[in-house]
Amino acid sequence: MSEILPWITLVVCAGAALARLPSAVRGVNPTLFFIFLLATAAGILSIEQFYVAIDGALGGINIAHVVLRLIVFATIYLIAVRVTKGFGAPDAHRMIAGRPGLAMLGIFSAALVTVFLLMEPAASSVRFRDAGAASARNEALLPYYWAAARGYLAYVSLALLPALLRSVKESLPPLVRTGAALMAAGAVATVAGLCLEFAPPQILVVAPAVNNGAVVFYIAGLVLVWLARVKAASRGGHGTSSTER
Amino acid sequence: MPLPAKAFQRWLNGVAPDTSTADICRVSGVKRTTLAQQLVRGKVAETTVVSISRAYNINPVAALATFDTYSDLASSSLPPSDKELVSQIATVDLLRAVIVRTAPTGSTGTESMDPCQPELSPPPHATSVKNWVDAIDDGELRHRVSTATGVAPQNYSAQLTANRLAPELAVATSRAAGVGLAGGLVATGLVTEAEAGWPRGARQAALDRLSDGDLAALSGERLQALGKTLRRQEQDQEQTERIWENLV
Repeated sequence: MSEILPWITLVVCAGAALARLPSAVRGVNPTLFFIFLLATAAGILSIEQFYVAIDGALGGINIAHVVLRLIVFATIYLIAVRVTKGFGAPDAHRMIAGRPGLAMLGIFSAALVTVFLLMEPAASSVRFRDAGAASARNEALLPYYWAAARGYLAYVSLALLPALLRSVKESLPPLVRTGAALMAAGAVATVAGLCLEFAPPQILVVAPAVNNGAVVFYIAGLVLVWLARVKAASRGGHGTSSTER
Repeated sequence: MPLPAKAFQRWLNGVAPDTSTADICRVSGVKRTTLAQQLVRGKVAETTVVSISRAYNINPVAALATFDTYSDLASSSLPPSDKELVSQIATVDLLRAVIVRTAPTGSTGTESMDPCQPELSPPPHATSVKNWVDAIDDGELRHRVSTATGVAPQNYSAQLTANRLAPELAVATSRAAGVGLAGGLVATGLVTEAEAGWPRGARQAALDRLSDGDLAALSGERLQALGKTLRRQEQDQEQTERIWENLV
């Protein structure tokens, strides 16, 4: 079961990126395509076969995993910037792209890389799962690595959540509100993902579902907002709001 | 809330005995699939009864009164109040009246249309439901309707804002306000003013009875409300545009 989840995530992300390609070529909001592309890259690196191959090329000491985490940072950062601008949340925008937001990004990235460098090199293993077994020091450091990796995502998600929930309640087109709700679910799942790092092992089995769910929710939310635009355009007029009848 | 299918069938049998459903739909303009669906669900919409009664030259209000929910429609003969009548005049018509009254007689432009005043557009208008309820509200009306019907005040308000009101609620509102029971059906556009028994030209007469001051104040209120609605729509529109710009 947990083997198929990354594949589902990858298919969703790659599908979104492919669907967005024509618009990006036309120069319509290429950032969105870039977001989906990064998510696809992250999806690829989450699958064992690809991970081992790519990490092998990078020296086989799990550098690919650090790259993966940084790609995820970049993806959520770009999503957050677009969402806070689009949904009109200047406070949240400052907390993510303003000075405090960039400081957070810097701190978490530095912490991630530092903890990784402090660990002894371990053989390639997808999701970094065998790194702890390599030595006692690694085992002690691994929780900090994951705290850094998931911490920034949780921080951004918490900053986004109020704006997303507000948008769900506003009088926007229904598909936009559904999209905002899905992204809010993604934000909640992301925070839950961080909490699960500190959870007892018996409920750790749901962690892959939660973490993959977070990605799928975020991406599906973005796709829905885009579909809302497509629907509004096909109905004639541009940007038809739900208050018009 | 709509009418029970059984009672509807009984009524239909009385109105158009030995007529096939297909024929009834053809004459009344009710879509056959719509009627079939309503019958299957056991709930027939009031609009269906209104359309069919019109096709068979029956007064729709009288037809509705044959159903239990609306039985008191028959006994109600209160004429509409001036406030109710004026509430059913479209804002544009009110503004036109302001212009006609304030323009000096014989001035350019208005002269040609003065002798034959343009007719008021028939109800409902864009905010007729809310204006109607405001016209008969003594301050406690919404509360009383909510108690009588069990409909939550915010749901009631939402319907008014959307310029809608379920027929049953419209009648309940009239009842709670102690005015003619069909008034709300006119405001929601279910029946015409003539069908509700409003005298011909009653709205125009009520408008003529308004003093210049009252007319100006009323028009001002309407314009202010219109401005608010438009501004909200513009804000929604702006927000949607911003979403498209950033997320699409």
